[in-house]
Amino acid sequence: MDPNTYIPKLAKITHIKEEVGGARPIKTFRTQFFENNNFSFKCGQCAMLSVFGKGESMISISSTPLIKDYLQFSILKMGRVTSSLHEKQVEDIIGIRGPYGNGFPVEKWKRKNLIFIGGGIGLAPIWSVLNTALGKREDYGDLTLIYGARTSKDLVFKEELEELRKKMTVHLSVDVEEPDWKEFVGFVPQNVLDKKPSPKNAIAVTCGPPIMIKFVIKALEDLGFKDEQIYTTVENKMKCGVGKCGKCNIGIHYVCQDGPVYSWAELKKLPQEY
Amino acid sequence: MQKVLTKKSLPQWVKKLLSYTIYTPVEEDDHWNFVATDNPEDINLDYPLTTLSPKKIIFPQREIFLEFCDSTEGNPEVKEVLPAEKSAVIFGVRPCDAKALTFTDKVFGGDFKDIYYWKRRNQTTLVGISCNTPPYTNCFCVSVNGSPYSKEGLDILLTDLGDKYFVETYTKKGEKLLNLAKGLFKSPTAKDKKDLEKIRIDSKKKIKRQIKNIKKIPPKLKEMFDSPFWDEESMSCLRCGICTYLCPTCHCFDINDEITSSSPIKGKRIRTWDTCQFPDFTMHSSGHNPRPDKASRLRQRILHKFLYFVDRYQNYQCTGCGRCISLCPVGIDLLEVLDKVRDYGS
Repeated sequence: MDPNTYIPKLAKITHIKEEVGGARPIKTFRTQFFENNNFSFKCGQCAMLSVFGKGESMISISSTPLIKDYLQFSILKMGRVTSSLHEKQVEDIIGIRGPYGNGFPVEKWKRKNLIFIGGGIGLAPIWSVLNTALGKREDYGDLTLIYGARTSKDLVFKEELEELRKKMTVHLSVDVEEPDWKEFVGFVPQNVLDKKPSPKNAIAVTCGPPIMIKFVIKALEDLGFKDEQIYTTVENKMKCGVGKCGKCNIGIHYVCQDGPVYSWAELKKLPQEY
Repeated sequence: MQKVLTKKSLPQWVKKLLSYTIYTPVEEDDHWNFVATDNPEDINLDYPLTTLSPKKIIFPQREIFLEFCDSTEGNPEVKEVLPAEKSAVIFGVRPCDAKALTFTDKVFGGDFKDIYYWKRRNQTTLVGISCNTPPYTNCFCVSVNGSPYSKEGLDILLTDLGDKYFVETYTKKGEKLLNLAKGLFKSPTAKDKKDLEKIRIDSKKKIKRQIKNIKKIPPKLKEMFDSPFWDEESMSCLRCGICTYLCPTCHCFDINDEITSSSPIKGKRIRTWDTCQFPDFTMHSSGHNPRPDKASRLRQRILHKFLYFVDRYQNYQCTGCGRCISLCPVGIDLLEVLDKVRDYGS
């Protein structure tokens, strides 16, 4: 008999870190399964997290597949399920099913320069692919991160970003000026135009709010990036994760299966229903 | 296998099938629907069209996926709840509704099999009835590659020949049902076969509504994505969703948790039908909605059926049953919409 795709596996929360406080809080959770169940995933894939009594929510996996001991999710408190996840403590148990989606085609990016461009919580899916590239550093060319948030308090992975500076180029930004901020002030797309990453032998990966993605893509086009060199992730409401419930379609595509990762060349061909 | 069965013998046949759950069309409160019965005399094959198709038996409007109990002590318990092991026979399935199940088969199949759907699908035998006269004023099965005596999705097809049924079996499941009452089925005579042929030719002619040049519609829909046409056509829509809830091919659903106790947290995870015609269907938790208005939602319904599904599965996701036309409270007529699409801008 085929496995029941809708039954989540139990996992324990082993670690919780408060990334961002305030009105739009973000927490990072690490989870471990109770039983070894061959949950193998590709960077850029998502998992359906369950809080029993609240429901399920599709969340991108922010850890790299190179780490086998835990799965990591960085979650913005938003709806019913993410709000109840934010109330969870270490040792609490949640359900996880998946992984779902296509993932980033990192195998095709070998020997290329990778430029990661993120805004706010959009760093979560980037974090998985960025750390995959770092884990196999010799396979890739130059690595650059351009990342920004509304204020310095809204940046996720703050300590990790400082560590990251030792290994790759990191350009941070905040939307408006604040005391002691020494880096770029302005929106992420402006920072991209300011830092002028070269399109030569490069792939740009951008995740963040839809409006940021739109202008980042425009900035990259201005810098000479071709549609095939730009990758992004799309999100839509999802319930099943397996292309059946009908909620996440963009034209013929189901984002849960055919996405969430798209090159700009592919995404351009689809209707704007995301 | 081809046989004939006298109408008088139908209840005797059903009597032999009582180890199955038997469904038959029954009229209740002005609506015909499939209802379980254990009385062989209840079987009624002379009926118009059920309001809901037999999809509701294979893919019920509400079903439990799992039960959970999450107490503060110990691990949460999660119990898978599968459909009961009970074979079923549905009598009086219209060919369009059986064909619709071959479409939901594709959706619930693939790499991730939906085992709730397949459990019911595999344990259900479908006994169809040919539509010698269209059971509905808005029938148009022939326009979408169907026919009033299509065997697609059926295990057995009965055709009314006056005082008897012409019986055709297409699957092992169907043959098994005949074998349980062997003596009742006789070989058809040459006249029976001739009568069948004539009824079939006539039945197609009696279908009045149609879509002309349907092949032109999918490419036209692709061009019309951003057209103001959808605003105009959806103006009268009440977003009640009846067009999709009654559609035998629509498969979209929601999954939610329902709790019966909050300490410990006990409850069920349930699947319910959902519809692309509701604003909530696509609304993100942030409030952003990729399909924010009636126009984009009507467009989704039409494009899913006549463009996206065709691209993915090489079939129109419509079997011409006509329910969405007859039962729309504001008279949005799928065939009129498609006619306008085909002729739009020319």
